Amino acid sequence: MKYSDLKIISASPDEVTVNRNELAQRLRTDREFNAPLLDKCRESFNKAVHYKCVYIQSPVDLSTEGVCDLGFMKIPSRDLYKNLRGCSEAFVMALTAGLSVDRLLARLNITSQAEHFMTDALSSAAIESFCDHACAIMQASLRCAPRYSPGYGDLSITFQKPLLERLNAFETLGITLNSAYLMTPVKSITAIMGIRSV
Amino acid sequence: MKKITELIKEKRVYFDGGTGTMLQSMGLPAGRPPELWNIEHPEKITALHNSYFDAGCNIVKTNTFGINRCKFENYRELIRAGIACAKKAAQGREEAYVAFDMGPTGRLLEPLGDLSFEEAVSVYADNIKAASDCGADLVLIETMNDSYETKAAVLAVKENCDLPVFVTNVYDAAGKLMTGADPLAMIAMLEGLHVDALGMNCSLGPDKMLSIISDFKRYSSTPVIVNPNAGLPEVRDGITVYNIDADEFSDYMVQLAENGACILGGCCGTTPEFITKTRAKTEALPYTCPDEKALTVVSSYTHGVIIDNDPVLIGERINPTGKSKLKAALRSGDLNYILNEAIKQAESGAHVLDVNVGLPEIDETEMMLRCISSIQSVTDLPLQIDSTKPDTLAASMRMYNGKPFVNSVNGTEDSMNAVLPIVQRYGGVLIALTIDESGIPDNAADRVSIAQKIIDRAAGYGIKKKDIVVDPLALTISSNPESALITLQAVSMLKEKGIRTSLGISNISFGLPKRELITATFYANALQCGLNCAIMNPFSEVMMNTYYTYRALSGYDKGCTDYIRYASAENGETVQKSAPAVSEGSLHTSIVKGLKDQAVSFAAGLLENTAPLDVINCHIVPALNEIGEAFEKKKAYLPQLLMSAEAASAAFDEVKKKIPSDKTDKSRAIVLATVKGDIHDIGKNIVKVLMESYGFTVYDLGRDVPPEKILSCALENNCKLVGLSALMTTTVPAMAETIELLKKTDKSFVTLVGGAVLNQEYADMIGADFYGADAMDSVRFAQRYYSK
Repeated sequence: MKYSDLKIISASPDEVTVNRNELAQRLRTDREFNAPLLDKCRESFNKAVHYKCVYIQSPVDLSTEGVCDLGFMKIPSRDLYKNLRGCSEAFVMALTAGLSVDRLLARLNITSQAEHFMTDALSSAAIESFCDHACAIMQASLRCAPRYSPGYGDLSITFQKPLLERLNAFETLGITLNSAYLMTPVKSITAIMGIRSV
Repeated sequence: MKKITELIKEKRVYFDGGTGTMLQSMGLPAGRPPELWNIEHPEKITALHNSYFDAGCNIVKTNTFGINRCKFENYRELIRAGIACAKKAAQGREEAYVAFDMGPTGRLLEPLGDLSFEEAVSVYADNIKAASDCGADLVLIETMNDSYETKAAVLAVKENCDLPVFVTNVYDAAGKLMTGADPLAMIAMLEGLHVDALGMNCSLGPDKMLSIISDFKRYSSTPVIVNPNAGLPEVRDGITVYNIDADEFSDYMVQLAENGACILGGCCGTTPEFITKTRAKTEALPYTCPDEKALTVVSSYTHGVIIDNDPVLIGERINPTGKSKLKAALRSGDLNYILNEAIKQAESGAHVLDVNVGLPEIDETEMMLRCISSIQSVTDLPLQIDSTKPDTLAASMRMYNGKPFVNSVNGTEDSMNAVLPIVQRYGGVLIALTIDESGIPDNAADRVSIAQKIIDRAAGYGIKKKDIVVDPLALTISSNPESALITLQAVSMLKEKGIRTSLGISNISFGLPKRELITATFYANALQCGLNCAIMNPFSEVMMNTYYTYRALSGYDKGCTDYIRYASAENGETVQKSAPAVSEGSLHTSIVKGLKDQAVSFAAGLLENTAPLDVINCHIVPALNEIGEAFEKKKAYLPQLLMSAEAASAAFDEVKKKIPSDKTDKSRAIVLATVKGDIHDIGKNIVKVLMESYGFTVYDLGRDVPPEKILSCALENNCKLVGLSALMTTTVPAMAETIELLKKTDKSFVTLVGGAVLNQEYADMIGADFYGADAMDSVRFAQRYYSK
């Protein structure tokens, strides 16, 4: 291991409550929408998912206007700079729902587009919910900025590369990047969450 | 000095411990690649190796773990310097060996990732070529978390040098690799590739590895390596430490050694002290090399299937013989049909899937490779590669992820000379047909003799008897009434000789009415004679009845649990009771409510006295329009629209059965693709399912599709309507590039585009003809296009 300061959070499907608003937004339905097929999708998703998160606590140096220096990478981004204002440290994290979810989606893509669509929506909402769950654990009693991910605002998606490398995310979570900087497993998230006060 | 492969047969051998943590304590800044020190501070690297040799290890790992051409431009120089550092430390020592160390590339292989198997082989091959004349004693492939990449690395070593190969994989606490393989699957594949030692490293401490070692002890005939971490990292007083110290570590290593670990060492967090203590406590323990396990195993990227007395079902549905739909699918390259057959067979209870794509008019090797890769992305069952062409077998076995069943070799000189070297090279369990130059013997004894001849010949290639499964051939009783008896006798004789057997069971009834009745009874007889595997139809209820009842009656189904589950499902007891009875609705309401099975039943009922086109025009289309309009008026949600579209498609398929294939309307077609670089295909798939439900022919090219492929598909099918999807801003340029290529080739191509990042303005900018805000929008456009 290149780094030994990495911290891991895992969770079982029971520990992560999928946010209903997130799910409804992705299904493009209202909060109350349900269907027997959605329950079936939930069941197979829960069998496939392996939630895992790796994170570090990193110093934040904002002394150069518009540049966020996290020690291991300097990020020119006005939007992240604004987001991190007032923070001297940040949590840097990567999370995944695991490769079995990719395999489940590949299978449903052949057998049923309705199930594929619903399971995809469900797994996207679920990884966001796991991210909330993990952030709550990291944060404990700290006051934090809203988490911010490569691809938001002017924060280039290319920063996923140094971020994932710093987190040893290939070894710890099995996350790899393709040439367009998209992650596999597909239901994975990288994020930075500034710490406002202790 | 003895070769390392000889030494590990005689005594316990020791690896060194962690490198990264040690180098950090010697001043390597966190995050800096340790491999750079091979050139910057070679004396420190040699000092590290010396400290491990002094601590009592026999094998040091070169400081080359992360080096490959993808990560370092000067990879050759770094590798050569790294081996030189280790060689310097080993010089003048007894029983001191240098392992050229290779780790993962950091990329995921296709089909889930974007690194091709052959590119991965070539990355590792370049490493081996750089290392080849530097004097390493063996190659260690370590910390591998994917079975497929492990195979690529092993092949690269085997094809580019003669050094012994040791392999260790990273298992999690549940005993699985990150991509899913368990120890049995890895052992089967690695032994098939003839590695010299195998095992596990990293991720877990020795305590957690104790729960996995028993699998290695049970299944491995090859010496087992155990290189654990010093437990888990934790922060104490602001400093990261591992939670198992050298004393505790070495106590666990004693238990691991007593449970079958042959070669001991350490990984992250371990230091020379760990190795010294481990050696001191384990050196005097009795040592035995693993004995040969008489296990016949085929494997996938997740698990192994043991071929033994408990019968194994090999699904026969992916074989074009006598299957017109499959033939059509193969000719048109429609993998979806094939993948559906694979998934359905897996759901029906098959343990292995036979894959035969031999048709005279297609490139069999190319199709086989496509099928294997695609099937392995949707099911984790081991596959049986079935071809009469040695070239096809070789190419397929090479790229298969696991240890395949191989169908087949026979007793002719030509066949044995062609097939046995391939199995020797890539590993597999080989089906041997009892036929030779004189044909198929008319008696059991001669068939057994041919089997024995093949087994003896295979032994000369290092292929073990356990890796040959004999098929004594089931021939139809309609031409020879004795043929079933001869085959059954041969199965019994082979069983007595400890040879595993398989039969293509359905052949027995060829030419007879109600074939399944004969086939199923013959299957029961053959099982009673000791048949191990049957290539059969898992969709056949009578065959599955035979399988489940035989297992219940023969003691393989403890507590009859599998039988009870099967019998309950047969009676519909597990089927959702709330589903309304078919008589309570209509095709129209089934489609509107999105009830697929009901829609199929109603369509079948209607077709008995309604013309196929009337079923489409008077029932399916109006129902689709109703839900489509409700969706457009925001009175129905997208999931409901999709469920309805699927129900309509299923009904449509039912109707198509009644329309002769030459009358199928292919004039209303669309090519669909998610553009190059983009792996999101939800939007494209929604459009696809809706288009299909409205009766359009869809040529779906999938995701991450290069412009040239889209163009060639459109030209090949003379389809001028092309739909493109992109979700990421980074991939919209690929969409523009595709449109430009299409328009440059032929101005009459019409493109419709959609996806989260697009809008009308953007679509205009990249020269698209139509921007579809949602799936219904796209369908309406296609309808307008074809009504012109």
